[in-house]
Amino acid sequence: MDKETVRTICYLARLRIDQKKSEKIENDLETIIELISGLQSIDTSNIEPLYSPLEMTALKHEDEEKSDNKKEKFLENAPASNDDYFLVPRVVE
Amino acid sequence: MSIQFKSITELRAMLDDKLISPLELAQESHKLANKYKKLNCFVTMDDDFSKKKAGAINLNQENNSLLSGIPLAQKDLFCTQGLRTTCASKILSNFIPPYTATAVKKLEDSGSITIGKTNMDEFAMGSSNETSYFGNVHNPWKKGYVPGGSSGGSAAAVAAGIVPAATGTDTGGSIRQPAAHCGITGLKPTYGRISRWGMIAFASSLDQAGPLARTAEDCAVLLSIMSGHDLKDTTSLNVEVPNFLSKLNDPIKGLKIGIIKEFDLSDLDKEVQTRFEESKKVYEKLGAEFVDVSLPNISASVPTYYSIAPAECSSNLSRFDGVRFGHRAENTDDLNDLYIKSRSEGFGDEVKRRILIGTYALSAGYYDAYYKKAQQVRRLIKNDFDHVFESVDILMTPTSPSTAFKFGSKGAQNPVELYLEDLFTISSNLAGLPAMSIPHGQVNSLPVGLQLIGNFLREDQLLNAAHIFQQNTEFHLAKPNMEDF
Repeated sequence: MDKETVRTICYLARLRIDQKKSEKIENDLETIIELISGLQSIDTSNIEPLYSPLEMTALKHEDEEKSDNKKEKFLENAPASNDDYFLVPRVVE
Repeated sequence: MSIQFKSITELRAMLDDKLISPLELAQESHKLANKYKKLNCFVTMDDDFSKKKAGAINLNQENNSLLSGIPLAQKDLFCTQGLRTTCASKILSNFIPPYTATAVKKLEDSGSITIGKTNMDEFAMGSSNETSYFGNVHNPWKKGYVPGGSSGGSAAAVAAGIVPAATGTDTGGSIRQPAAHCGITGLKPTYGRISRWGMIAFASSLDQAGPLARTAEDCAVLLSIMSGHDLKDTTSLNVEVPNFLSKLNDPIKGLKIGIIKEFDLSDLDKEVQTRFEESKKVYEKLGAEFVDVSLPNISASVPTYYSIAPAECSSNLSRFDGVRFGHRAENTDDLNDLYIKSRSEGFGDEVKRRILIGTYALSAGYYDAYYKKAQQVRRLIKNDFDHVFESVDILMTPTSPSTAFKFGSKGAQNPVELYLEDLFTISSNLAGLPAMSIPHGQVNSLPVGLQLIGNFLREDQLLNAAHIFQQNTEFHLAKPNMEDF
């Protein structure tokens, strides 16, 4: 887990690590990766991954239109919005 | 009349006998929460609305439920309409949900009164409640000691007798471990038993809501109401919800209890071992039979979990970007900078660590080695459980390797040290099985928990075994003296 890898992951996760804490975080990540690397010694050939303990397909229901529009309430929580939209810094010049 | 330390069953009797009104009960509960503010178990109180709702309850109606007029606390991970919901994170410190989580709504529709939202580890990531943006929660049994986590505030509020029960969520032990450390009873139901709709997601294939209460009987009351199919959660099970109270008193003669060979208890504190052996004797006297069983892959649970849970967390927490809700950083150059600064300011260190690990495990070139590999091992672990449940009814382990510990004493240097707290609890989340923790004595004046793990959808057997234990012992009646608070 070198500095470059950590920098790439941070970018992918859209996170910035405080310079003062970066060494500690690198060491922590290294320790955790070491922990999960222990799994490599287990033989899993021909074993299907278990992504959910249920292994059932989602129950289907009728595709009925429901009027549950809470636009105003959702917009109330936005840090910046106008009547209809969430506002963000300009993306296109 | 003091309501402190009363169970739901006791409070129900007081209400029915008109010894107290729902409003007085809610007021008393608020008073206790204020009196023990130093515990820091609540993030947000719901004074006005809860008293108004309590005042409007009519106990003379015929269709009243066992929870009518009973004050409860909700973990601050459940969305509550109009009531701030923070997940103990700076990034959600101003979030007012426009809807209520199904599990909470069902409790509220049954007449219970939500008095407030409880503190927790940030986004439920932690085993000590020390990662909360709102500060540590004290263990009611000893000031300066952790209550466990992540549902630490809920566990402390129940243990301190402020409310008779509270909701929690359990992704790797977050109901059972704090229940153990605080000397109360906690149940993580089968994955899919309770709707996850309105629960702020941490690891979606592991998260499950459940009750923390003073007794197994009270857990059964809450579970009966919280359970059931919900169209809004595609992973909620469309199965009949049994009456969890009806079999509580069934005799447990002949109950087959498995002891997992792979868990070497001789590494644990001698007193913790002694408590475990004595509880085995209690069950033996009640007619249960013990069988040694082998789960060959169970020791891989911790690394499996710490690959899967961060991966799911990194995906789930990508929604917190400062655009639609939550904290937004100021003075940002562009949209990307807004994402990065808002997230970096809004998340605490443990959450960042887990997002980074998950991002790494899911990134190109590592996906097969970490994420897929862990899901394959997860199947091996589940297969092991399927196999042992052919010959036993329940499994029994300690809930946690140790008792509650001092603030800052674990995980500061090495996060893995704290991850090992979940050694006994994690595997049931990986396999989706129900499990509970019941108090079974004390070591150095701090409570210890006994874990019972059940087969898929067999909460009834767990609750029966736990209730019979509590009918024949007094560990669950022990109370902290609270004089330091």
